[in-house]
Amino acid sequence: MPDLVWRSVTELSRMILTKEVSPVEVVRAFLDRVTALDGKLKAFITVCADAALEAARAAEAELVAGRAVGPLHGVPYGPKDLYNTRGVRTTGGSKILADFVPADDATVVRRLRAAGAIVLGKLNMHEFAYGPEGLNAHYGDAVNPWDAGTHRIAGGSSSGSGVAVAAALAPAALGSDTGGSIRIPASLCGISGIKPTYGRVSRAGVLPLAWSMDHAGPMARTVADCALMLGAMAGYDPADPTTSVLPVPDYLAALTGDVKGLRVGLLRSHFTDVAIPEVRDAVLAAARTLERAGAVVDEVNLAEVARVSAASLAIVPAEALAYHAEWLRTRPADYQPDVRERLMIGAFVTGVQYVRGQQARQLLRQEVDAALERRDVLLAPATPIPAPVLGEKKTMLGDGESDVRSALIRFTRPFNLSGHPACSVACGFTTRGLPIGMQIVGRPFDEATVLRAADAYQRSTDWHTRHPVLA
Amino acid sequence: MLPPMEIRLETLKSLSQLAGFDWSDAELEAVRPAVARTLDLLARLETLPLASVEPTTQYRVL
Repeated sequence: MPDLVWRSVTELSRMILTKEVSPVEVVRAFLDRVTALDGKLKAFITVCADAALEAARAAEAELVAGRAVGPLHGVPYGPKDLYNTRGVRTTGGSKILADFVPADDATVVRRLRAAGAIVLGKLNMHEFAYGPEGLNAHYGDAVNPWDAGTHRIAGGSSSGSGVAVAAALAPAALGSDTGGSIRIPASLCGISGIKPTYGRVSRAGVLPLAWSMDHAGPMARTVADCALMLGAMAGYDPADPTTSVLPVPDYLAALTGDVKGLRVGLLRSHFTDVAIPEVRDAVLAAARTLERAGAVVDEVNLAEVARVSAASLAIVPAEALAYHAEWLRTRPADYQPDVRERLMIGAFVTGVQYVRGQQARQLLRQEVDAALERRDVLLAPATPIPAPVLGEKKTMLGDGESDVRSALIRFTRPFNLSGHPACSVACGFTTRGLPIGMQIVGRPFDEATVLRAADAYQRSTDWHTRHPVLA
Repeated sequence: MLPPMEIRLETLKSLSQLAGFDWSDAELEAVRPAVARTLDLLARLETLPLASVEPTTQYRVL
């Protein structure tokens, strides 16, 4: 079945449960594709071929015996290589943890395993998740599959997750998001990804970057697949004290396709108006698409975003350095240079500045909450630019020149500070054929409405069905 | 707009030693522009109305 790798998680799940295909066929199809393409794309750090096939054979035996363990029975996926996986090395994209083999799974890996999912391998990332470009000096820079002629970055830090899903090396992946690390690669690679509300998904067993900003979430080509994955991942976890006891709704059931009367606030200043014209026009067109489907769109500004976003410059370096201090003292040469420099900055952030950052983010939360009092979701570009060429340092935005790193996180970081759920989906392509991503932001713990809006958009468009041309 | 933050190498040296790091002058010189930019941006947080805002690290964990 030649197109098996392009099937969605939802389709694969149905095909496996109805015995149209076997889990072994599915896993083999993806492993063959990884073998053929990953030498160039560098999406994987570790491929778990033997273990994945063994799990697939076990899943097949269960099916033959009339037992399906869960909604993801026999479906393969790839966790970013900062999710602990029992018996499989978890490097964090680093040399420092190159030989670290966890004794236990991260909570979400365990939950996905319980739902029947199979770990295909561990995915590439910016070292220790500390960079939105998705670069890795130790395992190679992941290659954006949408430009066969030029090495463009995949975005990060979940770069391997973005590439693996976009190039159909895996039907779904896990990412983590501290400043946009799920939504940025989703945007640059033309796939879907959701950063849930802070507290919705356990981070136990996930290597931290900055505890108070880290979010775990799924990435896939369709919103429906993200909904299916999130449903299996979410919920209270005693091992993560920040998780909420709120019940997890049936996210798939929430995808009704109906957005009639849905109130959408289009974020203008600091967001849409700052993006390059092709991105801005694609997001404005997406707003009109939602309008035609029955949504009510108005415009809204978040006045404090520009000033408050600096809070992350206190919070992330300080928390990251707290985690890395010992290694930075004893193994500084084992970090890639950009990550070492970012960690060093944490030593110069004072306690008062850190607390000021935590105070400032409260203002942003209040402002986003206020914008969502009269609206169900907010709409904005996910990134102001499409995938830059590897090594590109500067870019021009609507309000002037910006370094690429700052540009990439500019629209996503505010919602790490505020904690609101945000989903990125493809909303067009540039004239050069590069994907454009938009994000839909919702009320705390209302991922269902975010996913419903994003899914309704995908039902009205075909951007998410396009595939990169790969040799 | 606040004036750009100036930070001397000796200051960086003292602060990093206080934090337990023995970084060389060359390492500190390399990071000095980024530290100056960061501190410059952080100074802007002081202009926000934060006097009565309690710091929070979690979002409504219910």
